[in-house]
Amino acid sequence: MTAARGAVPPAQEPARARLVDRQLVIPFVLLILCFAAWGAAANLTDILVGVFRTVFDMSNFQSSLVQFAYYGAYFTLAIPAAVITRRFGYKAGVLTGLGLAAFGGLLFIPASQLLVYEFFLLALFTLAAGLSILETSANPFVIAMGPEASSTQRLNLAQAFNPVGANIGVLLGAVLILPSLTSEAAKTIMSSEELRQSQEQDLALVLKPYLGIALVLVLIWLLIAFRKMDVATPAGVEDVPVPTGSVGSRLWANRHYRYGVIAQFFNVAAQTCTWTFTILYAQDVVGISPGDAGWYLQASLILFLVSRFVMTWLLGLFRPTLLLFIMAVFGVVCCLVAVFSLNLLGLLAVVAISASLSLMFPTIYGVALLGLGEDAKFGAAGLVMAILGGALLPMVHAAVMDIAGPALGFVVPGACLAVVAWYAVFDLRTNRSGGEQLATVV
Amino acid sequence: MSNRQRSQGRVPRRLVAMGGAMLLLGLGLAACGDDTERVTVGLITKQEDNPFWVTMREVAQDTADDNNVELLTATGESDVDVDAQVDALEQMTEDGADGILIAPTDSEDVVPAIEAAREEGVIVIAVDTPTEPESAVDALFATDNFAAGELIGQYARARADEEGIEPAIAMLDLAPGIASGQLRREGFLEGFGIPEDDPQIVGSVDTEGDEDKGRAAMEELLTSNEDINIVYTVNEPVAFGAIDALEEAGTSMDDVIVVSVDGGCDAIKNGVRPGSIDATAQQYPENMAREGVLAIAEAARGGDEPSGYLDTGLRLITGDPVADVPSEDVPFGVRNCWGD
Repeated sequence: MTAARGAVPPAQEPARARLVDRQLVIPFVLLILCFAAWGAAANLTDILVGVFRTVFDMSNFQSSLVQFAYYGAYFTLAIPAAVITRRFGYKAGVLTGLGLAAFGGLLFIPASQLLVYEFFLLALFTLAAGLSILETSANPFVIAMGPEASSTQRLNLAQAFNPVGANIGVLLGAVLILPSLTSEAAKTIMSSEELRQSQEQDLALVLKPYLGIALVLVLIWLLIAFRKMDVATPAGVEDVPVPTGSVGSRLWANRHYRYGVIAQFFNVAAQTCTWTFTILYAQDVVGISPGDAGWYLQASLILFLVSRFVMTWLLGLFRPTLLLFIMAVFGVVCCLVAVFSLNLLGLLAVVAISASLSLMFPTIYGVALLGLGEDAKFGAAGLVMAILGGALLPMVHAAVMDIAGPALGFVVPGACLAVVAWYAVFDLRTNRSGGEQLATVV
Repeated sequence: MSNRQRSQGRVPRRLVAMGGAMLLLGLGLAACGDDTERVTVGLITKQEDNPFWVTMREVAQDTADDNNVELLTATGESDVDVDAQVDALEQMTEDGADGILIAPTDSEDVVPAIEAAREEGVIVIAVDTPTEPESAVDALFATDNFAAGELIGQYARARADEEGIEPAIAMLDLAPGIASGQLRREGFLEGFGIPEDDPQIVGSVDTEGDEDKGRAAMEELLTSNEDINIVYTVNEPVAFGAIDALEEAGTSMDDVIVVSVDGGCDAIKNGVRPGSIDATAQQYPENMAREGVLAIAEAARGGDEPSGYLDTGLRLITGDPVADVPSEDVPFGVRNCWGD
């Protein structure tokens, strides 16, 4: 999961205290690298969908299984990851995550030799499973690496490296993979043997960045494994508590929370669809070369990053759900432009969707958890597990592309953003205190 | 805030830099150096207005850059500018080109200059257009124009059968004596399964591959037969001209099957995608350029000399596929088209 999805800015606190305990400076830097690593891996996956479609000559739906494997692993491992961390501690959780993720990266080696798509899906699932555990452990680990007073600053600093990693992931794909892929035109005159050789060469390109990520993860694993780290579990660290029936009932009865989970599901879905299919839109609709198409995804991520700062400022001026509504409607309009304007304007609209996405995860997160008190800890887990939207909706988007064309696929993120807009309207038109009362009464 | 207090809240820059460097390990996969012998290849196209030739030049340059090849380029003012090509052949030979790729503007008139270059040991490959005689060059790398016509002929036949229409075919040809146009026509008839004098052909007009002449030709044919329901066009500009004429005459494009050859981006995006052109046979100038540069580089470095004919590929692009005729969808056509 990228910081884009997971970064929730906690409330500001005084930052006078030491940022990191002196003996934990190097482990802290190593954990920062972990934040960057999972950002890189997640957004490199966005590029893989189009790459595998070309290399294995398959449909958009088949190639979208890449995202199903990746985000499906994140969803599946969310609770087990929390259990590992709770039971064995942060370091064990981080090492388990790093080890599994590195193993997943190394699985790309046999996958690229066997030339079997399903093997790549297995490698991606393993990689993402490791990163899920890593992320679940690393967040509280970072919080525990220094005084409580500077925990917010520490976590923000670490999470700031996630979008940096995300951009590096896309850059890796744009520089190392996309420009060097065998063109489809070239394949029209290849013999079956030449086709197999080109497949091997293209998959070797895919292998390089994942191998690089795996090696970095192994290095971090070694540096953390052989370093003594005395980190106490601070009180109040956000973890995934074991739910009780009454907590679940209270949360379910709270419409702001319940609808918030739905909105988050569709927000993550819209984000994953948009970033997964930006490159394919550029290629299939506008005719941009693979080498250049990657830069449009890069532009999307940079716009996302910049917009996030702008939105932070605007959130000080507007009610959060009003801004959420405006940006969701803007996103829907962008999707419609992408559907009907089959040219560079449509592609720029696809890029612009990222501006609308930039405030959604933290805003929905905050609105859904507002006033939940102690229930917020378990409630937060539900919102994070809404990442399942990123696993499922890209397949729907891809299926629409296969049936009705690449541009029309953007009705899917458009519909997702419409759900987010509906949630914003719900919040704007609902008596908030009533909802909270309902939650506590039930 | 004192300096001491300020420094407490920071992560040492050295450590951050170390972290960044480790991340960039993933980027440390730079291309290996090229220790092959430097080769010089010339490319002579017909003109720069047509995106077909621009694509050919761009791909030749990219291929040259990737393979330690110096690329010399020259082009004419038009599709019939023979003098510019002859001058370029002489100049490139003088400049030490190991081989030259040429798209002849005139299949016969450029032959003496080609022969002179070959006598100097220069490898010459004709791209896109053959010379007359074909033996004047070492090799020909080009689209199989007969196969292109045959493919769209098969498609038109299948669509006609599928829709149960009685074919009334308009043939919008190139010009007499030009091999590519003649081969496309013959291929279409073969693919459609009719002889040259079949009564289903309601008329044939030469268009010189020009849009305006294509429009005029279609108008002419429509005056004598309003029921035309299949239109063969030798290239896509002619197809656009024919479509204008059909729409002007009040014919619904749903009632006419228009097929063409080329696969340029304009036609794929504005003809095949909306459905006014039902299918086109897409050819690949990038294959001519890439394979040509590589073949000369290989020969110049002691490998096999290029010879004979290389088919540079072909795909039928349609948004409305039919059974038993292999085709690719419009997104494939957009990804692989040439031009903007």
